[in-house]
Amino acid sequence: MSSQRSRLVSLAVAVGLVLADSSIVVLALPEIYRDLDTSVAGVTWVLVSFNLVMALAAVPAAHLARRIGPGRAAAVGLAVFAGAGLACGLASELSTLIAARCVQALGGALAVTAALELLPATVGSERRAVAIWATAGATGAALGPALGGLMTELVSWQSIFLIQAPLAIAAGVPILAVARHEAATGIVAAELRSTGRPHLLANLALAMVSAAIAAALFLLVLLLIEGWRLTPIGAAIVVSAMPLAALFGARLGPGMGSARARAAAGAILVSGGLGGLALLPKAEVVLTLPPQLLVGVGLALVLSALTETALAGRAPQAIHGGWTISARHAGVAIGLLALTPLFTADIAQQRNDAIDAGTAVVLDSKVSPLLKLELSQRIDDRLAGERGRVPTIGSAFEPLPEDPEDRAEVLVLREELQDQLDRAATHAFSPSFGLGALIGLLALVPIGLARRVEL
Amino acid sequence: MSRATNRGPLLIGVAIAISLALVGIYLAAGGASYAPAKVQDPCEERPWRDPEGLDELAEQFSFSALDGAACELGVSRETLARALATPESRERFTQRYEIDDAELARAIRAGLLRAVDDAERAGVLSPFLATPLRSTLREIPVDQAIELIQDASTLLDNLETFLGPAQGLLEQILP
Repeated sequence: MSSQRSRLVSLAVAVGLVLADSSIVVLALPEIYRDLDTSVAGVTWVLVSFNLVMALAAVPAAHLARRIGPGRAAAVGLAVFAGAGLACGLASELSTLIAARCVQALGGALAVTAALELLPATVGSERRAVAIWATAGATGAALGPALGGLMTELVSWQSIFLIQAPLAIAAGVPILAVARHEAATGIVAAELRSTGRPHLLANLALAMVSAAIAAALFLLVLLLIEGWRLTPIGAAIVVSAMPLAALFGARLGPGMGSARARAAAGAILVSGGLGGLALLPKAEVVLTLPPQLLVGVGLALVLSALTETALAGRAPQAIHGGWTISARHAGVAIGLLALTPLFTADIAQQRNDAIDAGTAVVLDSKVSPLLKLELSQRIDDRLAGERGRVPTIGSAFEPLPEDPEDRAEVLVLREELQDQLDRAATHAFSPSFGLGALIGLLALVPIGLARRVEL
Repeated sequence: MSRATNRGPLLIGVAIAISLALVGIYLAAGGASYAPAKVQDPCEERPWRDPEGLDELAEQFSFSALDGAACELGVSRETLARALATPESRERFTQRYEIDDAELARAIRAGLLRAVDDAERAGVLSPFLATPLRSTLREIPVDQAIELIQDASTLLDNLETFLGPAQGLLEQILP
């Protein structure tokens, strides 16, 4: 492999790796929640902290990259990212994990913005460089949850972070040559120029769409694992529909329409997918696939089109790339912070409604009063052990009564109660998905106002 | 105007059509109403079925009592049924809803009185029996009252204690 090609691959991997990190822990959150004995709101900060620091650090990191040279900045950024990843993997307390995630985001911001400065020289075209940078980022963000789920199930949640260290180091090796060249010659990639104003509307739309996409990824994973009780690996397989659709969406390049049209179509598809998730008619995994396909294709269209728009005709690319990173991660962080309290309150309420509905089924059934009492007692004991989560209720019906009539009746009851719980778990997420859909639709306002790009 | 620009409105149109189709199909399939069933307000009257024997009568009496107590406490009948299952679940319930023993006792007695009213209204308990039963229920200890709610057939077993000679009359009016 030529040095140019290996540098291109390592830059794309670096961008994908860092941006995957904004979502990679989504499927591991339930495990982290249990392992570190924290709250839902607390564990959300593992995700929020990374995105928040990325949002705040991206533009200063881009300036730093231009000052010290993008090769050196990318190498340092990846080294910091790798070291902080190790610290995340070894963390035994939530506060340590969150602190390490913040440092990881600092390194990541430096690496990603520096990569955008290095890519044009590597691929020979600024436009192509932007396309590769945006696609690598979108693919990483979309693949993150599935990869995180696989690692959590096959090894542990810690392995998600530990594996990133060697990957980041490997991605940094081909970049070291550039860093050494910069150190030896004292030449940085470009002279310091006036940076110009960032494209406000494109970046605002990016923030809004990112908030909607965060809702889709984060909430769907929680619905699958916490609501429908899928294993992390099962959930990873299910949510991989989204990145697969995103890969297809990424192929719908500029030939499909102007950047503004692709951005609008993408935002509509993301909102349509979220609307579908808000209106799931049954707790069945297969019903999440059509909405996921829409979100996947939509996110690929809208993220690449808006990134293109935000960077078109603007220099230096690293600074404006920094603005897009900042907008995307601010959107994710705000989306998570806004939606978490909404769905945690909803899930608690829906859980109580479901248990009441299930108990009503038991009370109004034909089983003997004493058996009803016993079942009510077992259901209550089962709930007490669940710390407010949506429970699996099957074991509350064990052992089954010996009398065949009672046994048949109890089996019907178990099914009806589980149906009520499935309804509750699914319904609890509806308002949050609905809000995500609305945010995605609102992104059409800045997209429509972005007159620089013709429809 | 370039070819790519020409395709823009078409791309947006397709995105709108697909999104609306998905939302429409999920709505038609019942997506808007896929939620847990709502339980009945315990303060509303729950009609009695014609009882087929003592067990069913006792059960309906229990449910009426649960409804009455739950209405008094501002919780659902179902929540209270689970709460009264064991002393531990009762303790969890009183802690969660910050209810003291006196409040719980008052609610449970009110529930039992409502059950007597409902039974009388349904025509399965004569006014002649209902009146002394009410007086007895107003005074019974809370543990015994909970026992009555849990298994109202014990009420009938214990009627001799509660009502003395009225027991025979009760048996006459049972279906």
